[in-house]
Amino acid sequence: MDVDRNMKVPINQLRLMLPVVLVAVLAIFPIIGTPRVWLLYLFLFFVYLTMANMWNLLAGYSGLTFLGPAALIGLAGYTLVIVTWNDLPFYLGIIGGGIVAAAFAALIAVPTFRMRGIYFAIGTLVVPEALRYVFYLWKPVGGEMQGGGAGYMIKGIGELSLTEFYWLALAIGIVSIFLMRIILRSKLGLGLAAIRDSDRAAASSGVDVFRLKLYAFVIAAFVTGAAGAIFYIYQGYIAPASAFNIRWLMTCLLATVIGGIRTEEGPIVGTIIVVFLHFLLARYGALSLLIQGVILVVIMLLIPEGIVGFVRKTRAYRSLAALAAGR
Amino acid sequence: MSEPILSVSGVTKRFGGLVALRDLSFDIQRDEAVGLMGPNGAGKTTLLNVIAGEYKPDSGAIRFNGNFITSLPPHKICHLGIARTYQIPQPFVNLTALQNVVVAARFGRGLGKAPAEKEASEVLDMIGLSEKKDALAKDLSTITLKLLELARVLASKPELVLLDEVAAGLTEAEIPKLLDTLRKVRSMGITVLLIEHVISVMMQAVDRIVVINEGMKIAEGAPKEIMEDKKVIEAYFG
Ligand SMILES: Nc1ncnc2c1ncn2[C@@H]1O[C@H](COP(=O)(O)OP(=O)(O)OP(=O)(O)O)[C@@H](O)[C@H]1O
Ligand SMILES: [Mg+2]
Repeated sequence: MDVDRNMKVPINQLRLMLPVVLVAVLAIFPIIGTPRVWLLYLFLFFVYLTMANMWNLLAGYSGLTFLGPAALIGLAGYTLVIVTWNDLPFYLGIIGGGIVAAAFAALIAVPTFRMRGIYFAIGTLVVPEALRYVFYLWKPVGGEMQGGGAGYMIKGIGELSLTEFYWLALAIGIVSIFLMRIILRSKLGLGLAAIRDSDRAAASSGVDVFRLKLYAFVIAAFVTGAAGAIFYIYQGYIAPASAFNIRWLMTCLLATVIGGIRTEEGPIVGTIIVVFLHFLLARYGALSLLIQGVILVVIMLLIPEGIVGFVRKTRAYRSLAALAAGR
Repeated sequence: MSEPILSVSGVTKRFGGLVALRDLSFDIQRDEAVGLMGPNGAGKTTLLNVIAGEYKPDSGAIRFNGNFITSLPPHKICHLGIARTYQIPQPFVNLTALQNVVVAARFGRGLGKAPAEKEASEVLDMIGLSEKKDALAKDLSTITLKLLELARVLASKPELVLLDEVAAGLTEAEIPKLLDTLRKVRSMGITVLLIEHVISVMMQAVDRIVVINEGMKIAEGAPKEIMEDKKVIEAYFG
């Protein structure tokens, strides 16, 4: 009894304290002279983590194998262009990017939700391709054609430093983690889990399948879009070929699948690995995508449940979890 | 007689060239238990799917408590008070048995989190699955999943349940328990439409039987009469 208590209290306190301390440490990184490269990789980590979390919400928890995150990210990037070229503050570009991405998601939900499984996946895969052509031909704010099609510099962010980009990314990364926690424990999360396992049984149990999927899609699109806009604030430049690139999908897919789809911690672990891979493969260019693809396939074959899913199954983890629960 | 709780009138359902239901009509009275019989491929499950809103009939209408429900989506039909099981169980495999039932209590019945969990526990208790409540549905046997279907259905507090072969696969020893559960369901004031191949269950659980063959109604009446009906015997053995 007593032993139990002594074990239980510190572990629980630690559980609460650890994230707070971690966030505080991460927040002061830029002002204690952390090397720029580190900050840069951490920045990418938080942006990718946000996108991977939202992709996990869709593919892992809602049964929506959405292969077009690039559409949301690209549209948000171009929204940022429109906002900043009209001399509006950049943060409106972030919010606007989220809103445009969410509105676009709501728009494509109507035709794509009719398609199930693989058809939904394929249907959404072509969406970024279509958008890329739109931005090859259409220049939302005029100006000279640069690069292939509508290439633009992001205006009015000259006074922003890496420190500020970094804080923006950190903030949205943390928001995405908490959002996942809240959604998964809510009525929405339960309904989504039911839909993922059997949309027929969910519907016949009273779940409004279309509406719940729409909620998840719009929420994920907003957050993904906002993260995309933050990425382009840092990048400072956008062009159709890179904005609507399959690379975004690869990042979300790799991070989620390597880490563990349908686990909350999976995208965190997976994104660490993805960013590390980016660091290692930086100089290999196009080859990097191929190598990432190979790694993805290998992971899917060896541990289809991802690293977190795999660790959870091990005996060591189980006994540790039992200890933490005070059993 | 008072207004029927369910009224199926002139329902036809085609799959391409195949006519699965052909101008089918029958009523179910409130508090009644009606059995639906017919050889394999007769159209029984299709009829359930049409009533529950998963398929739209090509013609004909379904009324529930006097209201047309023919064009409503499945979740709305559930909210109105019709719940169905699946012949091949459709569990939420990554959820626990309890959560499976909670889904129906929260979304079908509109309960909050705590009341829904309480309700779900009680239903699992009644069905005799309380020991399995924390097991993931993917780890449960087919038989247990059949009972879980029943639990899920009851948790949405329906007025009418559509049960598709809940006894199939049960052992001789498990049948009395199921009959007992069906009696409890009826005593809760729930009307039952039961599809069943296990004749003993059918004979004991229902007041009236509707027999269909190749999508058409070929007989309707008390269980005893049905068992002696020439057309029925022919459909099954002829
Ligand atoms: N979705 C579908 N698409 C095409 N044909 C279908 C579909 N569903 C059912 N059928 C066909 O309709 C006919 C009736 O099938 P149904 O499943 O309703 O029979 P049943 O009476 O439930 O049979 P069983 O006793 O084997 O469960 C069968 O010929 C079946 O092949
Ligand atoms: Mg059937």
